[in-house]
Amino acid sequence: MTLLLQAIVNGLEMGFLYALVAVGLTIIWGLMEMINFAHGEFLMLGMFGAWWASVAFGLDPLVALVPVGLAMYGLGVLVYRQLMRRVQRGDPFTQIFATVGLLFLLQNSAVAVFTSDYRYLSNTLLTRLSDANLHILGITVGVPLLIGALLALVLFLGLYLLIDRTEFGLALQATAEDREAAMLVGIRPQKMFAVAWGLGAALVAVAGTILANFFAVFPQVGFPFTVLAYAIVALGGFGSILGTLLAALLVGVVQSVTTVYLPPAFKDAFVFASYIVIGLCRPQGLFGRF
Amino acid sequence: MRRLPVVPSAIACVLLVAALADRTAPAASVPEVLIGDVLPLTGNFASLGQQYLWAGQTVEDIINNDYADLAVPLGPGKGFSGLGGAPARFIIRDDQSRGDLARTIAEQLITVNRVHWLNGDGTSGNTSIIQPVVESYGIPMSCHPCASPTLTEKGYKWYWRTGPNDRTMVASLFSFLTEWPGHGGPKDLKTVAVFTCDNLFCQDNRKIANELLPKLGFQIVLDLTTKTGATTLASEVQRLQAANPDILFLVQYPPETSIFQGDAKRAGFTPKVIATSNGAYSDQTWLEAQKKTNGGAGWIGRDPTAIDLVHDRPSWKKVNEIYRKYSRGQNMGELAMREITGLLWMADTINRAKSVEPAALAKAAMETDTPPEQLIIDYKGIRFDKNHQNELATGVVTQIGWDGEKHTVWPWELAKRAGFKVLHPNPGWQERESKPKPAS
Repeated sequence: MTLLLQAIVNGLEMGFLYALVAVGLTIIWGLMEMINFAHGEFLMLGMFGAWWASVAFGLDPLVALVPVGLAMYGLGVLVYRQLMRRVQRGDPFTQIFATVGLLFLLQNSAVAVFTSDYRYLSNTLLTRLSDANLHILGITVGVPLLIGALLALVLFLGLYLLIDRTEFGLALQATAEDREAAMLVGIRPQKMFAVAWGLGAALVAVAGTILANFFAVFPQVGFPFTVLAYAIVALGGFGSILGTLLAALLVGVVQSVTTVYLPPAFKDAFVFASYIVIGLCRPQGLFGRF
Repeated sequence: MRRLPVVPSAIACVLLVAALADRTAPAASVPEVLIGDVLPLTGNFASLGQQYLWAGQTVEDIINNDYADLAVPLGPGKGFSGLGGAPARFIIRDDQSRGDLARTIAEQLITVNRVHWLNGDGTSGNTSIIQPVVESYGIPMSCHPCASPTLTEKGYKWYWRTGPNDRTMVASLFSFLTEWPGHGGPKDLKTVAVFTCDNLFCQDNRKIANELLPKLGFQIVLDLTTKTGATTLASEVQRLQAANPDILFLVQYPPETSIFQGDAKRAGFTPKVIATSNGAYSDQTWLEAQKKTNGGAGWIGRDPTAIDLVHDRPSWKKVNEIYRKYSRGQNMGELAMREITGLLWMADTINRAKSVEPAALAKAAMETDTPPEQLIIDYKGIRFDKNHQNELATGVVTQIGWDGEKHTVWPWELAKRAGFKVLHPNPGWQERESKPKPAS
């Protein structure tokens, strides 16, 4: 029983981090219905940003997440204006090729600038706490991962309030639902799309700065997270912020629990199997709108 | 009797003669020796590829420039003396860590660039995909850091490897663990958990461990394979902890190894021995990072050379100096040393063949008998068996000390020279935290 509970707790902790990785995609893919295969590369840039801020300026990643988030917001807007706006009305394949191209451009640029070396952050607030554990009913909860998870949760709730409870968020949703109707009430769709891309890039980069405390930083680090993020967004339901959170937690727990009882090779297989099951029973995802 | 059309026949004859003349050109007329180097410079194995790139640039530099006091093949003198001083030109291509692309590039290098030798790709999985292509064209090929035993066990005629294979190196590791009690080591190491990733390299190590360990009297209590590119290993650590092995045999790449370390630390998992096989243990950046955390102290691994003793060799120092020109100041790691040793052997073979004709190169390769003094690595020399595997390539066992450096602990005669006291048991996480960190 303790083994199972420990696995659930481990899964939940990772789930919160997955949620933050996936939520940027929820906005771009789920809400705006634009495909972004370079999502993991924004995460990678966030991780490199945290590493660079630490090495060059001695900034802790928890501090660096503010400038990194702002810089990545700018990059997201730039990518929309210079690339995605031009392909937005085209065939979905054009979007796929454009963002796959962006993926390779960003990844290989990182190789050229930083080389393919693995980089590790040490002596950060969270790595210094790596010995700290909470023990509750025989369950061990790592404090650094818990802080990372709580931080992700706070950011997540902030975003949820922004999208669901503010005029700006409603304008964003209105643009996603009916661009022409949104224009009639004075919303500028191009601006909304640019903001959505900026927010998506900033959020995943912030997730990257937190993850840099726990993972090696290297140009190809984004891919496994991108794969999970796509499954999470589809599982949670397109455009549902809350659905993304719950799906991410589910993915974390499914990964963790299956690995305790089955060969680890099944870890991701069960994640995608649960997606297939939900897809068959409820194609719009757990909290989808259509 | 039917008459052959004169003009087409004449053209065909001219083309045939031209083609043959090109392939069998006399030695002195070779303007340059072309080496095709297929490397994973981007993609998942890019961190390995860049080391092989720097190794290739180092060897090209050594061949083409005069290093009069460098006691390695083709160190003194410019170019290939056996080919009238022809220089070497490495044609380097990135296969993006993809086997299908590596195969296409290999084909292009052979048919379009007309390379005389093909090297690459540096990973066993992708190399096994290139091998049949090269075999069908019949030109020499090598991959020196590739350690999968299967690469030289398929009966290929054109593939050579100077580096030791996984069987040699993993056997070294387990020989050390078996002989250790007789040299003052612990007598209570009985159970082993095998924890590997899922590609050819990891699975070869896993198979060898499963084959050897029971024969040596160890009991395998858990055998876990995990996906490369994992985002968490917390549950795997739970299972390892529940199995409570004396020895953890860990074969994982650097990103997964650092995830494992984080999850093991959180769970307080500390087996008595952590034995590794290549992967993170061969990665310079992972090793450097351990100096900031003491995370690698006590880890035991296999190496192709006594890395703490090899620094004393003057040729090693000089080659390392050249390597640092290309590597942004990094020292040669053991993978780079294996690659450079192999590429220098290739240069020596071409020089001895006095020809770039494949059959002559193959003959020279099989006649190789390089003494250990000419190497920058601790092999007992280079001499090939019938499978084109260097039978004098050896395995060494090292351990990371509290100074963050690797120290030789086996074979015993080298260990004596190194004079290092083996850390045992594997230090707990608290101890790692409390000890001074070498990098600080």
